[in-house]
Amino acid sequence: MKEQIIDLKGEMSLLTVLVLYTTQIQAIREALEEKKQQASHFLVRSPIIIDCQLLGERSLELEFAELKILMTQVGFVPVGLRNLWEAAEALAIDAGWALLRPSKQQVTPNTPPPTEITLEQEPSEAVQRLLVLDRPVRSGQQVYCPHGDIVVLQHTSAGSELLAGGSVHVYGALRGRVLAGVQGDTQARIFCERLEAELIAIAGRYRLLDDIESNLKGQAVMIYLEQEKLKIVPI
Amino acid sequence: MSRIVVVTSGKGGVGKTTTSAAFATGLALKGYKTAVIDFDVGLRNLDLIMGCERRVVYDFINVISGEANLKQALIKDKRSDNLFILPASQTRDKDALTQEGVERVLKDLTEDGFDFIVCDSPAGIERGAALAMYFADDAVIVTNPEVSSVRDSDRILGLLQSRTRKAERGESIREHLLITRYSPARVASGDMLAMEDILEILAVPLIGVIPESGSVLQASNSGVPVILDKESTAGQAYDDFVRRFLGETVPHRFLEVEKKGLFKRLFGG
Repeated sequence: MKEQIIDLKGEMSLLTVLVLYTTQIQAIREALEEKKQQASHFLVRSPIIIDCQLLGERSLELEFAELKILMTQVGFVPVGLRNLWEAAEALAIDAGWALLRPSKQQVTPNTPPPTEITLEQEPSEAVQRLLVLDRPVRSGQQVYCPHGDIVVLQHTSAGSELLAGGSVHVYGALRGRVLAGVQGDTQARIFCERLEAELIAIAGRYRLLDDIESNLKGQAVMIYLEQEKLKIVPI
Repeated sequence: MSRIVVVTSGKGGVGKTTTSAAFATGLALKGYKTAVIDFDVGLRNLDLIMGCERRVVYDFINVISGEANLKQALIKDKRSDNLFILPASQTRDKDALTQEGVERVLKDLTEDGFDFIVCDSPAGIERGAALAMYFADDAVIVTNPEVSSVRDSDRILGLLQSRTRKAERGESIREHLLITRYSPARVASGDMLAMEDILEILAVPLIGVIPESGSVLQASNSGVPVILDKESTAGQAYDDFVRRFLGETVPHRFLEVEKKGLFKRLFGG
């Protein structure tokens, strides 16, 4: 089997995350060129974040300036680095890279999601754990509950947007966009009485209505993440 | 205390001005002192539909900027002593509208003893539309049986719940859905959204359905609000709408495909 060089992941922030498995610029270049051949329209002028977690202390070997040039040459707009080995941070900054705060959700290729749940930080008292809406969420309205669940007792309209750190429950037709687990909580789920959503996402993994099996449209469903994939099941 | 009603839709060309004219005329004919204000500054139309375009001396913007007083600008309707029209300016644009100015005009109208103030909103969600709805107590949302119109109305409903004085005070505006240009035959053939589908999407109480009718265009062109055309289905439906608005229970009409009898089929009609 061919050695894995890189991994491309789509996230809901509409940024592509490039996970590096190696520090060899030339190998990365070749792998990217190959990807580009497969989906050239996808890569052109896309903002990109480089995830260095898998490199660990090997990050020190990385030629940060060259990496940046490579990204631009391949057609990406480099946004910044994340999960970088601490000792390499100064090198990266010298090369003009921005450092992004580490994502809560760990990059662990081909391993099941962690069974142990540890609270990363003690929630402060002011944090809203639940947002209940008793009116329809209209087109153009955006409802954001960064650290809790959203419950809508009516429908949501096409062109509306629900964003929850936790889960989302809609007791009516779900027609707009809905993003659960926006802080990276892969345990978040979406429940609705009628699935007609334009877009559904949990912890950055998203699907459009067109991608949803037609037998599930209009049904009462639960949506959750299983092994990096969105699962939609009737309830 | 005046009741301020905004006639709005988001989308243009769905019948806001036609509805404002018919609605204000209907209220006046029922004995209520009514003012109708054209908020479509720069694209003045209400005066044409009301048939008073030759009597415009001062306009809404003149009053707001203090160049004229309200009495000078209000045009008394030819057909009803209870009805007054405040036309928009054709030479200015919507930036000339100010919240303080609009508030002052509405306050003056209230002090003059008007029962109803109908605000004819421009299309869109910008300044003109925002100010037309800001002070409203009631909103009549005009929707055509067509997906883009329904979505725009949905957007407007969202704004009514957030960008109005009532919303800011934690109260809510009374919302009334008025479906216009409804053609039961085209609904039956699947070209048009059915009333039930629109209600399902918008989830707002229905106050009337105005059937598609040639008499609307005719009425507009001759400057006579269509509600005065007692023969036309649209005129009758507008009258039903006004009565429902005033609290009467009136069954909805013109929702079914009209079956032509043998006589009509033979001789046309």
